[in-house]
Amino acid sequence: MKPALSPDPEPKIALIGNPNSGKTSIFNQLTGLQQKVGNFPGVTVDKKTGTLELSNGRHAKLIDLPGAYSFYPTSKDEKMVVQSLVQPGNENYPDAIIYIADVTKLEKHLLLFSQLKDLGIPVLLALNMADVAEQEGIQYDLEKLSRKLEAPTLLLSGRTGEGMGKLKSMLVDLLDEAPVAPLNSTKYRLAPEESKIINQIQAEFPGYTPYQLVLMAHHVKWLPFLNPNQKALIEQAISNSGFQDLQMQVEETMQRYDQFTPIVQQSREKDSLHEINFTDRLDDLLTNRFFGPVVFFSIMLLIFHALFTWAELPMNFIETGFGNLSTFLQNHLPQHWLTNLLTEGVLAGFSGIIVFVPQIAILFFLISLLEEVGYMARAAFMFDRIMQFFGLNGRSVVALISGGACAIPAIMSTRTISNWKERLITILVTPFISCSARIPVYTVLIGFVVPPTKIGFVSLQALAFMGLYLLGIVAALLAAFVFKLILRTHETSYLMLELPAYRLPVMRNVWLTVWEKVKTFTVEAGRIILIITVVLWVLSSFGPPGAVKNAEMAAQRSAKAKNLSADDTQDLVDAKMMEASFAGQLGKFIEPAIRPLGFDWKIGIALITSFAAREVFVATMATIYSIGHQDDEYSIHEKMANQRDPVTHKLIYSPATSLSLLLFYVFAMQCMSTMAVVYRETKSWKWPLIQFAFMTGLAYLSSWLAYMWLS
Amino acid sequence: MVATSNSGKQLAKMKIGSKGHVSHFTDCCMACKLLSMGILPGTQIEMIRSAPFGGGCYIKADNLLIALRKSEACCIVVR
Repeated sequence: MKPALSPDPEPKIALIGNPNSGKTSIFNQLTGLQQKVGNFPGVTVDKKTGTLELSNGRHAKLIDLPGAYSFYPTSKDEKMVVQSLVQPGNENYPDAIIYIADVTKLEKHLLLFSQLKDLGIPVLLALNMADVAEQEGIQYDLEKLSRKLEAPTLLLSGRTGEGMGKLKSMLVDLLDEAPVAPLNSTKYRLAPEESKIINQIQAEFPGYTPYQLVLMAHHVKWLPFLNPNQKALIEQAISNSGFQDLQMQVEETMQRYDQFTPIVQQSREKDSLHEINFTDRLDDLLTNRFFGPVVFFSIMLLIFHALFTWAELPMNFIETGFGNLSTFLQNHLPQHWLTNLLTEGVLAGFSGIIVFVPQIAILFFLISLLEEVGYMARAAFMFDRIMQFFGLNGRSVVALISGGACAIPAIMSTRTISNWKERLITILVTPFISCSARIPVYTVLIGFVVPPTKIGFVSLQALAFMGLYLLGIVAALLAAFVFKLILRTHETSYLMLELPAYRLPVMRNVWLTVWEKVKTFTVEAGRIILIITVVLWVLSSFGPPGAVKNAEMAAQRSAKAKNLSADDTQDLVDAKMMEASFAGQLGKFIEPAIRPLGFDWKIGIALITSFAAREVFVATMATIYSIGHQDDEYSIHEKMANQRDPVTHKLIYSPATSLSLLLFYVFAMQCMSTMAVVYRETKSWKWPLIQFAFMTGLAYLSSWLAYMWLS
Repeated sequence: MVATSNSGKQLAKMKIGSKGHVSHFTDCCMACKLLSMGILPGTQIEMIRSAPFGGGCYIKADNLLIALRKSEACCIVVR
């Protein structure tokens, strides 16, 4: 039984409710920026925790558990709820629960509430969406409801903030209540099989309520905290008693509905006016068989157009800012390799991370807006059939779109997909979608393949850009199809998606989501980018003992002999020094493997560094072609345009080589951070390695074909 | 409540715009999930539209809007 609650330094409160009940808004209202996203140990499900200040000055830890319809979970997300609440010793086991229900759909939102009451934990019933209820004319006798449901009840609104103060004071009352005697009954009539099981196993699990024991019987196959003996005991009890999992579930569920539905109906004073509403009218257009997809693609085009136009200004600002800082430091700090490390290594690394933040922030802002408004569910509905054809799920659409910003948060968002195969395939193919890191590569190289001509309003280069994006999408779908054929599973796959009513976005939720995604990118990808940039600087500044110095001297002699200008001399010296450095040696080492693709050893260096993170492509090019601090795409493009092979004098960045390089970057897996996340989500190195192999294999093949075809 | 009676038709075969009430389910596993979402025997069902590309259906169950695959809708018998 739960020990008496003394003024616990930090009581744990769990926030539980159906998906779409507005739980997130309430969590955000209560915790604001005092929240962080972590991991449930051993499971890759987001655990959102925050600190809540109660009305008497005390603090409580608020845990936002994933939305669930009942204790009979469909996805990994929902399993987390069961796991945390079935085992009293669990680290997430709360001292009190705030249950969030949508007051406009109360009869449908109380199943989990009814189940929670059988756990013996104090529960507070929060009827959310008070603002919508008022609009629709819905009214409840709260006192009656509270009395009959045996839980303190209040009306609130996650959008307007109404009721938050009352919630906090009711929480204090709940936490301070004298503990009741341990719960020995259940709200519904136990089947004889269930009673038998309880009798057989309760000795092994002291302190568990009867319902918790029943739940363990239902979920014995996957509950992680059971040791083999306990598992055996439960399974024995199951076979002894004739327990039928599904049938008992149905029976229990129906009984619970039969209990609370009349209570809800009797407590309702005024019902909704049931007018044809805004959501129905809007869905007539947005989910129409023809216009639905048309609108969707238009929205996607608008989003990407907005992405490029809105991001330009902040990105230029950031690049110039870092450039100026770097120059300032170069001028004011002593001439020393440490200064160079700072400016060309560390600072360049930070610049390389921060410069992507505007694009990622903007894309996630727009996606989060669509999600808040309720549109993403419609997208999942419309494309589910097509997604299924490729072995994916309607819900994969969100991951694929998010991949346009950064695959890392995109992959993490697949946790709502219940079927293991669909989820795995989504994770494996999402990195094919052209992420923001590929954009600078495309920008630099497209000019070498496609001339800057216009057809009417549309520029050929813009079309080529779109073509590259399309290639990524096609590759993702085809790869998914192949995996669908290869991987085997007997697990059923579900859509069964509730479509929320369209509503104005709660901007607080949007901003907090953007913040969280940007933080994920900056920390996860940022770490690697910074390290690689510094490593690149080291590898290209130093070489085997004496090699770089000798190269420098040899180059200077050679330049004198050829009577080169000061600028040209510097270029030759820089190039020769680079060639002698470790980076240069590495490039030369892999040159035979990449010659068939039309690449020389300098491009080889770029490929090597890019394998850790695509973002360093520009920095690497700047280093290779000795541009120093002028590392924006346009000056790099200029410098590269003039590069010639020393022997044949042919242009290095011919259309053939450039297209080949472009295709390589479209398809190759060049992001260690993504591989690390895939490892975490799939709990095995097998999948990231397979992903690396097929993506890079496809890249090599397409590069080779393109080079053969164009040269 | 999960039975194989002969009257009533599968939800997947309902005409767009038609209404009815859930009679029973034909699959235990699906039934459990649908029940937890709020689709119960007696719930009023309205078939609103089908998805593009030959996909599933968009239905109204009492006042809930739910998207179901054809395979999921097949398990619901409506009268």
